[in-house]
Amino acid sequence: MNQSICLLGLNHRTAPVEVRERYALPDVDPRDQGLIAAKSGVKEAMILSTCNRVELLTVGREDKDTVREILRFWANCCGGDVHELQDHTYTHRNLDAVTHLFSVASSLDSMVLGEPQILGQLKQAYRSSVKQGASGVVLNRLLHKSFSVAKRVRTETKVASNAVSISFAAVELAKRIFGDLSSQTAMLVGAGEMAELAATHLLSAGVKRMLIANRTHARGCELASRIKGEAVLFAELFERMAEADIVISSTGATQTVIQRRDIQSIMKRRRNRPMFFIDIAVPRDIDPDVNNLDNIYLYDIDDLKEVVEENLGQRKTEAAKAMVIVQEETEKFACWLRSLDLKPTILDLLAGGERIARKELKKTLRRLGSKADDPEVSQALETLVLSLAHKLYHQPLDFLKRRAQEEDAGTRYIDVTRRMFNLDNEPPSPDAHPDRRKPQSSEE
Amino acid sequence: MNLTETLELAVLALYFLGAVLHILAVLIRGPLLRSGGQIATLLGFGLHTVDVGLYLARYGSDALGHGPFYFSLMAWTLIIVSLVLNWRLRMHFLALTSLPLALIVYSFATTLPSMEVILPESFMGLWFGLHIGTLFLSICLLAMAASAGAVYLFLENKIKGKTKITGLSKDLPSLSLFDQVNAWAVNLGFPLFTVGLLSGFLWAHFTWERFFSWDPKEVAAIIVWLLFAFLFHQRLVNGWRGRKPAKLAIWIFALSLVSMLGINFFLETHHSFQP
Repeated sequence: MNQSICLLGLNHRTAPVEVRERYALPDVDPRDQGLIAAKSGVKEAMILSTCNRVELLTVGREDKDTVREILRFWANCCGGDVHELQDHTYTHRNLDAVTHLFSVASSLDSMVLGEPQILGQLKQAYRSSVKQGASGVVLNRLLHKSFSVAKRVRTETKVASNAVSISFAAVELAKRIFGDLSSQTAMLVGAGEMAELAATHLLSAGVKRMLIANRTHARGCELASRIKGEAVLFAELFERMAEADIVISSTGATQTVIQRRDIQSIMKRRRNRPMFFIDIAVPRDIDPDVNNLDNIYLYDIDDLKEVVEENLGQRKTEAAKAMVIVQEETEKFACWLRSLDLKPTILDLLAGGERIARKELKKTLRRLGSKADDPEVSQALETLVLSLAHKLYHQPLDFLKRRAQEEDAGTRYIDVTRRMFNLDNEPPSPDAHPDRRKPQSSEE
Repeated sequence: MNLTETLELAVLALYFLGAVLHILAVLIRGPLLRSGGQIATLLGFGLHTVDVGLYLARYGSDALGHGPFYFSLMAWTLIIVSLVLNWRLRMHFLALTSLPLALIVYSFATTLPSMEVILPESFMGLWFGLHIGTLFLSICLLAMAASAGAVYLFLENKIKGKTKITGLSKDLPSLSLFDQVNAWAVNLGFPLFTVGLLSGFLWAHFTWERFFSWDPKEVAAIIVWLLFAFLFHQRLVNGWRGRKPAKLAIWIFALSLVSMLGINFFLETHHSFQP
């Protein structure tokens, strides 16, 4: 391996929040700030900076000073102290770095195991790196691979299934009661932050209409315009509640706001259509006795917390299966890294050419029928096709050998060649151009 | 082994396979197993249709008075009702009830000695179409409603009681879908049951010159009809949903089973298959 990968970072486990805040690196361009330089030995770099982690991923020469240079760059950018930073960071090199990155992308290293946000943040960080011209052959490949590993983990394990946030658990329960939410109406009683989050989840789950009843009508209107809902007067709360299938209550009231008798009369008007109440207020807004009514389901914050904790436990079991996938994919990536040397690529290219030549030879011999029984004819044909294959590859190989002498270009051209001739036998990505998704016909 | 016996054996084997595959699909969450179960069910149903057709071709309208044919037709109706409900509501879960039930009823049909009721020739077609056809359809709808109701009560208990929803319960459809099966059964089943009952009384009137003869089967049918009418009324007029109609559907179906199996076999009735 002629390229060394280095990952330096801190996260919610190694650094308290004030340190994470101090050493955050949003919008830092590694080219402008001198991370990518001959002195540091870094050729490619990407910076991931989220509220729970800051990580610098670099590719460059194998050098023990590289880590020091990265730390210095990092501390300089934040006006911090190298020693303090060093106390909170972890370093992964080469395949350890690859495994770590795949785990991060698959959300196996996140504070909330399996939460999908980190993948979006990683994609954003990679886009910035590409825009800054800081990523090259290895980072491009590594990041694309990490996205596909994350996808594989999501498909093959249940690490991301089951709700692990209060509002998401509420949405899951609503689906269990109503099935499809696209014809349901939801109502927020109180327009607090938690209620807004729950409303966002419900809307993204497809809820048709959202009513907002807040004591301060102006605040209700403001939230309604933000989430494209309809503000209703608090005085009309029970009148309008009959339209709602899901009610999320989060007022700051010190006593219960919704009583059993209120719901009984609402249910008559609704002709017993089921209602799901989510009480996320502390102290509670809804009389617990409401749950005893037919076709009424009431969950308070503690009930939902229990669901969340249970689901987190299940995710942990799935994480072990996901780690096996990460290890498998790390091995595959290691093979690709090794192939970036010139020799394996030449051998793969020639072997590919010979394979096509022999396949065509077999077809021709079949077509010749009895004439092909003559060993001289078949021998001559074999020599012809093989030398043709070798000669066709002569110019590209010569070109590759010359480019390999150049410090930066070699790896790039080797990578291009491997992709052009599909030497790693990779299926085209789902977002590839339709022409690329057709079956490969090069060997036919 | 003649053709009929071979057909019967194949139908039994396919329904059995379908039931096992559907159960396995739920236990180990395998969509492939479910597809296999559906294929086995459809094949079994196809052969069962052939079997019913052959029986009718052989005995003509006499077949309608034969006990084995009666049960075979019952199982056949059960499968077709579950297939239609599955198609309309995407509720493959109903196969878990309909297949084992059809298997039991069809096994009855294949093992019963050929007992028969003597029926007047002139009423055979009408009697079959209105009396048996409509009653069978409504009872099969009730069977589906009862099984959906049992699962509804199980799932609702978990949601209301805030207990863990793990394993099998996680794959269950929503509560509203189970309630929809009940709505289907009541809205379609009650009018059918009423037609079935009225045609029976009319037939009795033409045959014995009296509508009602206090026959145990007739009494049971009236009780079932009253309960069914109550359920129909409560759903339609008072907007009953969920738990109450689920429970009542289970009771009505249980009573129908008692009427069909208990009274037909163990009590003295002119619906008995004894000659």
